[in-house]
Formats: sequence, C-alpha cells, structure tokens
Amino acid sequence: MSVIALHSEEYMLAALAKGERVATEEIYNRHADTICRWVKKNGGDSTDADDIYQEAMVVLFEKAQNEDFRLTCKIGTYLFAVSKHLWYKKLQQRQNQPSELSGDSDEWHDKGYEDDVNTHHEREAHYEQMDAALDQLGEPCSSLLKAFYHRDRSMTEIAAEFGYTNPENAKTQKYKCLTRLRKIFYGVQAK
Amino acid sequence: MQDGNHIWAIAEEYVAGTITEAAGAELSNRLQTDVEFAASFNECVNLLRSMKGAATQAHFRGTLKDAAQKHNAARKTIPLRTHYWRTGAIAAGVALLTSACAFLSFSTHNKSNTNQYSVLRHEIENIKRSQTQIIRNINRQNAAGNTPTAAVKYSGTGFALNNEGYLVTNYHVVDGADSVYIQNQKGDYYKAIVKAFDPNTDIAVLKVEDEHFRFAKGDVPYTFTQGKTGLGAHIYTVGYPDDDMVYNEGYISANNGYQEDSMQYRMELPADPGQSGAPVLDASGNVMAIVTAKGNQSGGSTYAVSSKALLQLLHSMPADERISLPHTNRMGRLDREMQIQKLAQYTCSVKVYKK
Repeated sequence: MSVIALHSEEYMLAALAKGERVATEEIYNRHADTICRWVKKNGGDSTDADDIYQEAMVVLFEKAQNEDFRLTCKIGTYLFAVSKHLWYKKLQQRQNQPSELSGDSDEWHDKGYEDDVNTHHEREAHYEQMDAALDQLGEPCSSLLKAFYHRDRSMTEIAAEFGYTNPENAKTQKYKCLTRLRKIFYGVQAK
Repeated sequence: MQDGNHIWAIAEEYVAGTITEAAGAELSNRLQTDVEFAASFNECVNLLRSMKGAATQAHFRGTLKDAAQKHNAARKTIPLRTHYWRTGAIAAGVALLTSACAFLSFSTHNKSNTNQYSVLRHEIENIKRSQTQIIRNINRQNAAGNTPTAAVKYSGTGFALNNEGYLVTNYHVVDGADSVYIQNQKGDYYKAIVKAFDPNTDIAVLKVEDEHFRFAKGDVPYTFTQGKTGLGAHIYTVGYPDDDMVYNEGYISANNGYQEDSMQYRMELPADPGQSGAPVLDASGNVMAIVTAKGNQSGGSTYAVSSKALLQLLHSMPADERISLPHTNRMGRLDREMQIQKLAQYTCSVKVYKK
C-alpha cells in the first residue's frame, strides 16, 4: 500500500538530490503547468517548454548534489527563474542576437540564477566532450565503462558479460580503458 | 602499466572516500613532492568524478522523462469516472442534461485546454450542489438499511477477486472518497472499504464490510492472466455506465498503453464514463486487463491496465492480508452469452460519495 504525504521543501529537495522517483515526480507536477505555459507564451512550442523545464530541474538537481546547498527561495521560484534564464539564452542563440532580459522583476538582477545557468552550460559541455571521448574509445572499452558507470554493473557481472575470467581481470581492463579515456579526453581539451 | 593501474585504484578509493588513513597519508605526501604525479592524479580524480556525475545526471534525466510523460499523460487522458449519476427529480434532470451536454460537446471537440475542462466540470459540480437537497430528500424517503444517504458523486465498475468480498476497481474511481458502496446485479447496496491501492497503475482493491457478503453461490468463475495477452486478441468487457450492465467487444490494438506504458494495453474497445474498473476478458474467460481511461485524441482507443499489474499489487500486500484468487476457470467451454451471465454475477457498480 502506498501513502502519499506532503513534505517540506527541504525534505523534497533532499529526496530530489538522491534522484528519488516520487519526489522528482511530485516536484515536476507541481510547477510544470505554470512554467510550461510561460515558455509557450514567450514564443516556445510545447517541446521547447518541456525541454526548458526539464533542464531547469536538472540545474536544481545538480545544485542539490552539493550538501551545503540551501535554497534561499521556494523550489518553484527557483525553477521559474532558472527556466526564464534558460529560455532567454536559447532564444538568444536561435536568433543569434542579444535579446533583452525583461527587467520587470528583481530576479533578473539576482546574479545567482545566471551563474547557476552558466555553470550548468559549462558542465553540459564538459559532459558532452566526455561522451564524445567515450565514443572514440572503441570497443570493448566504451561498452565496459558504460556498463560500470551508466548501468551500475558490478565488476563480477562485467567479467561475465565481457568474458573475463575473473573480476580482477575485468578491473585491470577497466583501468586500462580509463587510462585511454584520459588520454583522449585531455588530449582534446589541450587543443 | 602497473603504475598506470595503481593510480586509478587510489583515485577510485579517494573519490569514493574509502581510502585508508595510511594510504591517505602516503598519497598526500606524494602529491606534495611529486608534481607530475599530482597533475596525473588530479586528472584521474576529475575524470572519475565526471564519469560518475554524468551517469547520475543521466539517471536523473531518465526519471525526469518518466515524470514528464506521466504528467502529460494525466493531462491528456480523461478518466472515465466523470460519470454523473442519474437523479429522480425532473428539474434536476433538465439542469443535468444541460451541463452533461456541455461536457459531452467539450470532450468531442477535443480541446487540449485542460483549464477549460476543469472549469466545465466545476460548473457541473455547482449545479449539482444546488440539487443535492432534492436528492437527499428523495434518498431519505427511500432510506432503508443499506441504502446510502447522499448523492453519488462518481460511479465506476468493479469485479470480484474472490468470493470473500474482495473486489477490484480503478484507483481514480475511489480517490478521495468519503465512502464507497457497491451495487450488485440485483440492485442491493453494500458498503466497501479500500484495502490497497496503487495510483501509478491506477488500481484499487476493495473489500465489502459485511462479512457474510457473497457475490453469488460458488467460486469466482474466471481466472487472472499472469503474463500479457498478444496483439490482436479478441476481448470483451462488461460494465456499468448506467443502471444497466453494458457489454462491449473489441481487440488489443497495441501491446503498450498510453505513452508506451508497458503495464497497460491499448484497445479498440468502446467504453463510456462509468466503465472505469470494468474487467476485460479474453475469449476463454480469463481476466487480462481492467478498463482505465480513454484517449481524447485518437477517438476509439481505450486504455486498460493489465492483470499483471493487479497481481503485482496483490503480491505487495502484507502476508496476513493475502487475497486468495480463483484457480480454476469455469467459463472456458461456455458460449459468450453464458460467460456473460456468469460474469454479471461477479461484476458490480462502484458508487463513490464525496462531501
């Protein structure tokens, strides 16, 4: 039997940080309509709206990973402000011209949100580079690392899946793959 | 290459925070003295953290996508519960007809505007409130024993899990109910309580309060399908969109339900409000799904949650409350008419009252 309880924002945020499904859905549902409506009113279609809102949730999620993180406002306020920043940034990119952030409210003067969005874009670029490096790695390294990091497989399972005689061997192989990944990744960055 | 692997082993422990004190001391010592090692180690740690971070984020994005799908699904399917109960008063009936027409024309017009949807429903609610007095009076005159005393808010369909008073319907039918009654084929009312539910799959298990209640003589004649029935299978359902039981037949049109929900089927099967929670059976009389919702876009498509989800919910109940299910199918060799006759005894209307 499942029970739905109303929790405080702190509790919800902590649960979100752990990626808990129920909390994620709860937060998602609470603010989705308001924020998506805003994006659509400001020139986006429903795909844009969904994308922007999900991106804002990811920003919050990443922020919440830091244990020292404390929200100084409501979750909804934060998501809304970040969504606005993300959307204006996207519009700016599309039109290839600086669009003005409408300065009708104080939140635009709060550098905090903009910094968060910038950090987020940097992080995404970083992850993208890493994904590209991972693809360049070739097999079996690419699959092996993905199995370990993305699919949470244990070394024993990986040994079985990739045909290594024991987990120790698989581990050695994993380290070799990481060494190659490091070469590719930092080689790309150095350019 | 030995050193190459060793540095990763240390970096992994360092990132995970499982490094021993001695190794930690040795590490910080080396980091201070060996500049080249420090640079390499730094890269390793960053890479490991990024790998982990990217994976965690990917996981979260998956969860988020599910949440978005669910959210959009909730907005786009109209639960079949918004069936408004017939009243005896003519004046009330006329008012009702007007609002029902508004509701119907709305749903056929297929507006994607959910606000409008809720507003319309609210109006129905308001009209209803003004009628409540009349209905109450009528009900008071008829009040005898088990008859519920307030107007029905929603109605759905339910069917027996066994002959010990357990039955199943949709969660959205009984969601937020003050009290739930079932009305069997003979028209008798029995009070029921919600024993278990799962909002995700939209299933609720009810029990009739009266210990002596039996749907009919003998065991429940149908069984529950464990796996999933295949595409194209012919299916039928009986339910209570109004006072009379209604039969519909159709076929499975997709193995997954709304937004690829694997716990559901998509069916070409006519269904009306009030049929939420109705059993869907295959040709040999096995219950394989429960009618849940209707898409408001694709016209004929009905969504039904699979019996697999029901079995999962039953399985998750505490051991001392385990519900025994029928083992033998007594309908397989009967023709359709006889099957329905049997099934009808174990199917009921579920009436939900809210203040």
